[in-house]
Amino acid sequence: MTTLQTEVLVVGGGATGAGIAWDAALRGYDVILVDRADLAEGTSGRFHGLLHSGGRYVVKDPVAAKECIDENVILRRVASAAIEDTGGLFVTTPDDDPAYGDDFLAGCAKAGVPVEEIDVAQALRAEPRLNPGIRRAFTVPDASIDVWQLVWALANGASARGARILPYHRAVALHRDGDAVVGADLRDERTGEEVRVEAGFTINAGGAWAHEIAEMAGIEGVSVVPGKGIMIAMNHRLVNTVVNRCTMPADGDILVPIRTVSVIGTTDIRSAHADDLPVTQEEVDQMLEDGDRLVPGLRSSRALRVWAGVRPLFDDKKGGGSTRDVSRGTALLDHRDRDGVEGFITITGGKLTTYRLMAEEAVDAMVQQLGHDRPCTTKDAPLPGSEDGAYMLAGARLRTRDSHLRTEQLICECELIERSTLEAGMRSRGSRNLDDIRRNLRLGMGPCQGGFCIYRATGILHELDRLDGAEASESLRRFLEERWKGVWPILHGDQLRQARLDDWIFQGILDVEHLPGAPA
Amino acid sequence: MTVHEDNVLLDLVRGSLDHCVKCTICETHCPYSNVTSLFPGPKYVGPQAERFRTGEPVSPDASVDYCSSCGICTRVCPQGVHIAEINTRAKARLAESEGIPLRNQLLGRPDVLGALGTPVAPLANWSLRSKPVRALAQKLLDVHKDAALPHFSGRTFRRWAKRHVSPPGATKEVVLFHGCGTNYYEPELGEKVVEILEHNGFRVTIPKQGCCGLPLQSNGIFPAARSYVRRLAKRLAPHARRGVPIVGPPTSCTLMLKREAREILGLEDNPDVRVVSEHTYDITEFLLDLHDRGELRTDFKPVEETVAYHAPCQQQGHNIGKPALDLFALIPGLRTVEMQASCCGIAGTYGLKVEKRQISLDVGADLFSQVRAADPSLVACDAETCRWHIEQETGVTNVHPMDILHRAYGL
Amino acid sequence: MNVDVVVAGAGTAGLVAAVRAAQGGAKVLVLAKGAGATHLSPVTLDVLGYAPERVESPLAALPGFIAEHPDHPYAKTGADAIAEAVSWFRDTLGEDYRYVGDLERNLMLPSAAGAVRPSALVPATMAGGDLHDGAPICVVGLRPMKDFHAALLADNLARQGHDARAVMLDLDVERVDVNALGIARMFDRPEARSLVAAQLAVRLKPGERVCFPAVLGLRDAMGVWRDLEHSLARPVFEVPTLPPSVPGLRVDALLVAALRRAGGRIIVGSEVVGAEPAGDGVTVRAGAAAREVVHRAEWLVLATGGFAEGAITLGSDWRARETLLDLPLAHMPEAGEPRFVPEYFDDQPMARVGVAVDSGLRPIGPDGARVHERVLVAGASIGGAVPWKEHSGEGISVTTGHHAAGRLLGAATSAKAAV
Repeated sequence: MTTLQTEVLVVGGGATGAGIAWDAALRGYDVILVDRADLAEGTSGRFHGLLHSGGRYVVKDPVAAKECIDENVILRRVASAAIEDTGGLFVTTPDDDPAYGDDFLAGCAKAGVPVEEIDVAQALRAEPRLNPGIRRAFTVPDASIDVWQLVWALANGASARGARILPYHRAVALHRDGDAVVGADLRDERTGEEVRVEAGFTINAGGAWAHEIAEMAGIEGVSVVPGKGIMIAMNHRLVNTVVNRCTMPADGDILVPIRTVSVIGTTDIRSAHADDLPVTQEEVDQMLEDGDRLVPGLRSSRALRVWAGVRPLFDDKKGGGSTRDVSRGTALLDHRDRDGVEGFITITGGKLTTYRLMAEEAVDAMVQQLGHDRPCTTKDAPLPGSEDGAYMLAGARLRTRDSHLRTEQLICECELIERSTLEAGMRSRGSRNLDDIRRNLRLGMGPCQGGFCIYRATGILHELDRLDGAEASESLRRFLEERWKGVWPILHGDQLRQARLDDWIFQGILDVEHLPGAPA
Repeated sequence: MTVHEDNVLLDLVRGSLDHCVKCTICETHCPYSNVTSLFPGPKYVGPQAERFRTGEPVSPDASVDYCSSCGICTRVCPQGVHIAEINTRAKARLAESEGIPLRNQLLGRPDVLGALGTPVAPLANWSLRSKPVRALAQKLLDVHKDAALPHFSGRTFRRWAKRHVSPPGATKEVVLFHGCGTNYYEPELGEKVVEILEHNGFRVTIPKQGCCGLPLQSNGIFPAARSYVRRLAKRLAPHARRGVPIVGPPTSCTLMLKREAREILGLEDNPDVRVVSEHTYDITEFLLDLHDRGELRTDFKPVEETVAYHAPCQQQGHNIGKPALDLFALIPGLRTVEMQASCCGIAGTYGLKVEKRQISLDVGADLFSQVRAADPSLVACDAETCRWHIEQETGVTNVHPMDILHRAYGL
Repeated sequence: MNVDVVVAGAGTAGLVAAVRAAQGGAKVLVLAKGAGATHLSPVTLDVLGYAPERVESPLAALPGFIAEHPDHPYAKTGADAIAEAVSWFRDTLGEDYRYVGDLERNLMLPSAAGAVRPSALVPATMAGGDLHDGAPICVVGLRPMKDFHAALLADNLARQGHDARAVMLDLDVERVDVNALGIARMFDRPEARSLVAAQLAVRLKPGERVCFPAVLGLRDAMGVWRDLEHSLARPVFEVPTLPPSVPGLRVDALLVAALRRAGGRIIVGSEVVGAEPAGDGVTVRAGAAAREVVHRAEWLVLATGGFAEGAITLGSDWRARETLLDLPLAHMPEAGEPRFVPEYFDDQPMARVGVAVDSGLRPIGPDGARVHERVLVAGASIGGAVPWKEHSGEGISVTTGHHAAGRLLGAATSAKAAV
C-alpha cells in the first residue's frame, strides 16, 4: 500500500472541492484532492449550467442574491474560459403576476444586480422563440458555465502548483489520532489498490455525501438532505440568452443555453439518498409543460436526455416537507468548535455560482484553525486558460474543426470531436472506458447519442491497447445501458426516431447483444 | 441584427435540424462533398453545424461557402430536415460577417449584367470569348477563364413581348414568367414558349417582371435578394389574385418563387409572395397537367432526334417527377435517353468561380460521360446555366425541352 | 397522375412491392418523402436470426415462431409467402448482385464488431464469411476508414474460438476523412484495386480467407469482388458496417432500375400526405413545391416505415399515431402504462407497435374489421415484430412487399376474370 503525505486532504472533487484545492494551493499549501469517481460527477456535473446573476433570489433571498452577483463578476474575470456570456432575461409570462416585476426591479437595485427593463418587442426580436404573450422583460448578467471546463481548470491550476489530483480514489476510512483527524484510507476504484494519506488537515467537500465522510471521522449529526432536481437537455439552443420566469422561484422556470443545447430545469423533490435519484415520467412531463410556457413548442421539441441532479441541503434539525424552504446557503462546520475534533471541517450546501466563496470560507476556516496568516487570492488569480479574459464561444469547436477539414478525422460528429482530441484525451486521462471520455469531451452526448461515434471510439480505444476485446465489448454494452437511462423518459418524437435507428445500428448491424461477454 | 425574415419559419427551417438522425443519406447523395473535402457535406454543414451557430458576429465556419445550394440533400432526406435551406441561410450569415466580394455582387445580378451587355452585345460577346479578357477577368474578379458564360442576344425578350399580342379567340389566360436568361440571352426560347401556349388556346400575358433574386440568394446576399423578389412578386401578384397561372421555362426561377423565397429568404408573411408562389408552375409541369386533363394539343410531327434529357437539381426540387419526359413520349420519332446524374456542376454561378471551377467539373463528370455514351444529337435541360455548361463541356447542342416541343408542333 | 398503384415509401418493402406489381403489368408510381432506408441497411436477407435464441434453420424455426407470435407479420403472410418472396428477390437481382443461401440454414457471418450474426441469404460478396466454415480469417483494416475496426472484429471472433487475425493497410486516398462510399468508389477503379491487392498479398498466409469492410465497389460489386478473389487467390468477403451502407446503395439502385425497366416510376422528395377512398380506388395527395399534387390510383401500398422513419410517431403526450392515414395501431401500451423500461436490453413495451393488419395485409381496426379497402401495408409499418432483435428486418420487408403486390395483382386478375 502506498502512503502519501500532504498538508491538506480535500475529500470531494466537485466545484467546491476543486475550488478549495486551487485556493489552498495558491496559499502555498500542499494539497491532495480525491473523489470516488471522476471529478464533478456529483452535484456539480449535473446542474443546469447557470451562472446566476442573482436575479432569481433578489426577492426571496437578498443575501443569496448579493453573493451571486459578487461572485458572478469575479468568475467572469478569473474563469472566463469556462463561461459563455449569454446574458439573461427575466420574462413575465401570461401565468405570472406582472406586479412581481416591480419587486424584482427593487430587489435587484438593493442587491446590486444590474438590471434593465426592456421592451417586450425588443426581447422577442432578440429571442424569437420566446412566448409572444410575455408582458414584461428584464435583462440581467446571467451567463452559462461549463462545469467540466471549470473544475478541470481548477484542478490543473492546483496541480501546476504541486497539488495531486486523484479521481477514482474513494475514501473508505478517516483516521483519528485522539481528537484530531490525521488522514484517510483510499481505494483506487480502478485497480483496487489501497492508498493511505497522512494529512495535516482534512476538508470534507463531499457535498450531498458529506454526511458519509463526516461519519467516517466519527462525527454525528451532519445531515444533508438530498434535494433532487431534474433537468432536460433540448437538442439545440432554442434561445441564446438565459431565460428565467419573472416570478418567485418555481419548477421549470429556467432555460439555459449552454454549448449546443438548451437545458430546462428544474424541480425540487426530497430524495431518500443522493445516489438514488429516479426520474419519473410525471416529473418529465411537468418539466416539459413548464418549459412550454417560456418557449411555446418546447414540449414537442426534441429532448436529448434527462438527468437528476442533487442539491446538498444542509439540515441541522430534521428532514421532511418541501426542501425548497431549507436554507440555500452554505453550511461550514468547523468540527473543532462543533464536535471537538481538530483538523477537520465540512463544507456543504451552496450553489455552483458561489463555489469560490465557499472555498474561500473553508480555507479561511482551516487557516484560522492552523493559526496561519495566509489570505485568499482567488478573487484575482485567473485560472489556466482564462488569462486573457476571453469568454467561451459556443461556436469554438466548429471554428476549430473548419480549419482542420483536410487534416483531421471527425469521430464524434454531433459534438465535433476529432480523432487526435479523442486519442489525446484517452492517453492523458488513462481512460479505460468510454464513460470518462463521454463526460469530458461530450462524446456521444449529441443528438445521435453515440449511434455513430461509439463504435468508432471503442475501436480506437481497442487499437490504442487501452482495452482488450472483452473490455471493449463490455464498455460498449455499458455505454448503451447508461445512455438509455437518461433517454427513455424523454423518448418521443424525433428522439425516438433516433433511438430506433440506433437500435438498428447496435443490435441489427453490430449485434452487440451477442458480443462475447467479458470473463466472469 | 436580426431581421424579421430571418426569424420567420425559424421552427420550420432551423428547427427542422431536430429531425436529423445522422443517417448519412444526404451526404451519400451530395454531388459536391463527394468530390471535394473543402465541403464537409450537407449533414455537417446543415443540421450538425447549425447547433454550433449561435448568432456570434463572426461566422464560425467558412466552409459553408462551398455548398452549391443545389437542394438535393433536402429532397433525399427521409426525415424532413430542410438542409439546403439551413445551409443557404448560413451562407447569408457568412456573407454578413465576411463581406461580399465584388464578383458575387456582379454574378448575383444577371439583370444588371444583361442590361449592361445587351446594347453592346457584339463587343460583349467578343470580350467574353477573348482569352486575354477572360484571363484578366479571372485575375481581377476570380471568374474562371474557362467557365461557360452566356452569349448576349443583342435584343431583349421584353422588347418583343411589348409588341406581341396573342391572337384573338383565346378562352384561357396564362402569365408568362420568363426570367433573365430568356430576356437577355435566349429571347427565342421565350417566343417559342408563347407560341406553344397560344397553340394550346391561351392568351399569354407578359407583365413587367424582373429578376427573381435566386443568384443573389445563392451568394448569400439576402437583403438584395429579398427586395428583388418582393418587387417581382408585387408585379405578378395581381394576376395571381385573378387566378391566372404563372408559367415559365426557367425551372430554377419558378422554384425560387414556389418555395425558396418563402423558406430561405423568409418571405412567408408577404402576401404577394404567397399568392404568386401558389400560382407558379414550371412550363413542363403546366403542359403535362393540361395533358392529364385531356386539354393538350398533341398534333406533333415526327422529330427524328436522339435527345439526352438531364433534369437539373432545381427541376427535381419541384418534386413533380420529370414531366419533360412524358411530353417527349408524345412526340413521334423522338428517341429519349434519360440521364441518371444528379447535377451538372454549374449550380447557377458556383461553377463560374475560380476556386470552384474544378469542383464543378468533377461533379459534372458523370453526367458528361453519360451524355457522350448516349451519343445524342441534342441534350435537353430545363435550366439555362446548366445548358451552357453542359454544351461547353460535351460539345453537344443543348436546348430547353420547349425547343423540341415547338419543333414538333411545327410552329 | 392516373396509375394502378401508388406505393408510399421507397425502402425495401416499397420497392419490392412496386417492382413486383410493375412486372405484373400494373402502372406503378412510387412516392417517397426521401431516400429509402435500404441505403442504411446491410441488406443481408435476414429472415429469422433470434427467437430469442440463435436460429440455425429459419425453415425449421418458423412454424414454432409463428405459432408463438400470431400477430407477427410472418403469421399474417404465412411461412410459404416468405419462401416465395425470397426466391423472387434473388431472381430479380439475378447475376447483377447474386444472393446465396437459403431458408434451410442461416449463414453465420461476423458483424463489424465481431459478433456472430445469422442471415438466411446474403450477397455473394459477403457469403465467404460464413463461420460454419473453419478457414482462418485475415481481417483487413483500411486506413483511414473510421467505420471499421479490424482488430476489434478479429479479437472478438478469436474469443469465440474462430481463427482470426487483423492487418492494417494504408490506402492511397487524398482525404483524411473519407466514408465507406468514398472508399467503395476507389475500389471501383482497377488501378486502385490492384494496388491494394499487391500490398495485401504479401501479408496473407496460405489458406486464409480475406475479410474487408463492405466497400468492394459501388457500380460493379460482383466484378470487383471476383477481381479481388482472383488477385489474392483466396476467398474474399465483405462485412457490412455503419451507414452509409454500400451494399444497401447497390441493392437500392438495382431495385430502382428494375422498377424503371418494368415501366414504373419513382419520385423521391414527394411525400404522400393523405389518401381518401374514391370510387373503386383512392385519391392520393402528395407534397410538391408550393402545393399538393393529386394522383388517382386503384391501390395504395403504405410502405412508409415505422418509428425510425417518422411514419409512426410518439407524441410528447405519449400517444402514437400512424401519420399518413391515422391507421389503428396494434401492441400499443394502454394510456398511463410505461412506454419504455429502464434496462436497455430488456423487452421494451413500445417495441412491437405498428399498424394492425389482416392476412391480406389490409389495415384493420381493433375489432378486426378492415378500415380501408384499397390500402395495403408492407414493411416496418406493420406491428408485431421486433426486427432489430429478431434479425428479421429484410425478411419482413421483402415478404410483405412481395405479398402485398401479389394481393393487388391477384385482385386485378380476378376483377378482370369476373368481367
